[in-house]
Amino acid sequence: MHTLTTGPWTPVALSADLPVGTVIPARIPAGSIALWRSESGRLSASADRCPHRGMSLSHGFVRGENLSCIYHGWSYARSGKCVRIPAHPGLEPPEAIRAKTFAVEEAGGVIWVATDEAATTPPVLEGLMPLRSMTTSAGIAAIEAAAGAKATAEGLVVPAENADTLCLLLSARDDGQTLIHVLLKGETTADSRIAASRVAESLRRAAEDLQKKGIAA
Amino acid sequence: MKLYDYILSPSCYKVRLMAALTGVKLELRPVDFHPGLEHRGLALLALNPAGSIPIIEDGDLILTESSAILVYLAAQAAPEWLAGTKPEEAARVQQWLSFSGRLTANLGGARLHEMLLRTGDIDALQAQGIAALRELEAGLVEQNLRGQRFLAADRPTVADIACFPYVALAPDGGVSLDPYPAIRLWSRALRSLHGFVEMPGIHRLHELKPEPTVEESKA
Repeated sequence: MHTLTTGPWTPVALSADLPVGTVIPARIPAGSIALWRSESGRLSASADRCPHRGMSLSHGFVRGENLSCIYHGWSYARSGKCVRIPAHPGLEPPEAIRAKTFAVEEAGGVIWVATDEAATTPPVLEGLMPLRSMTTSAGIAAIEAAAGAKATAEGLVVPAENADTLCLLLSARDDGQTLIHVLLKGETTADSRIAASRVAESLRRAAEDLQKKGIAA
Repeated sequence: MKLYDYILSPSCYKVRLMAALTGVKLELRPVDFHPGLEHRGLALLALNPAGSIPIIEDGDLILTESSAILVYLAAQAAPEWLAGTKPEEAARVQQWLSFSGRLTANLGGARLHEMLLRTGDIDALQAQGIAALRELEAGLVEQNLRGQRFLAADRPTVADIACFPYVALAPDGGVSLDPYPAIRLWSRALRSLHGFVEMPGIHRLHELKPEPTVEESKA
């Protein structure tokens, strides 16, 4: 079992994949979350469960500075506090109606969420530019074997054959899947970015082959 | 122009969506696909011996392949939805139109299995569906890196409409869309288009409309 030591921080998504006014699903060790960005660009992470009827808030939508549930439209502020219940427009929602929230930080184009109120900050990834995120059914050992390189404590793997251009940021999930953020090193062009995306696809395929054969188990 | 239609059919929805986006008026003729199997009855087999829907009837023209129907609607009302003259763009449109047939088989097959108890190897269908979604995700990532937001160009084409419904409804077949950020943004771009219409399971973007206000009832 690999333990990556990013403290309480999990790299959940790339900044570019969460434009203003949108919400996406993500996972941290504490469970599923709704990760959203308000119209003014502020990031939030809340438990993926509406306190009203348990609907996934990541199925909802962002209007202005609030996240709304798709089911009955209950709206939540960044703090998690319920600010609007459409069926009772005159009601000020009670303080007790809150979605659980998590600390969220964005650095170098990567969004990190903490499982607890962390005093620390997420790892800094110097000189790396995010390309894309992909999910794989392979574990970290299989990805290391496919890349021919070990992961650092932060979960960074530099594939042996593409050491000058590519770096993978790994995040193991509790369902056995691994989230891979593909990061690029140095100067890139559109062509080299497309090539790097294809290399990452091949690495994933190789890692899943190894996982299936049990070689890296 | 008459569409033999079933509200829950993603392929029929392709036609309704294309018509709505291009301003074509359709006469809808509902087909009792489930449980009546009307599409396998003599009357509809006379129109389409393959026993599938959608079917378009326009004068003496009968079309039964959804990709061909999309091309017919676009060519009539909105040629900008067709491929331009660039060889690469023309080929990409054809590439994804053919790919959409695979989506019907794998993601569509999984959905029929889960929703209408159609027989089939659900594990295999889902695995093939995931492989197709990965292919689509990679294709969209590359298009974005070329500065193009849609499958064949920086504007939506018939290829996008051909692929969108079965992808958006993948969760009906037990296939999650969570792992695909590029597909999520593409789906959002399509649902943001002026004239977009919904089908059960594919909803519009509520945030594009002003917040509805309701008067508190004084009962």
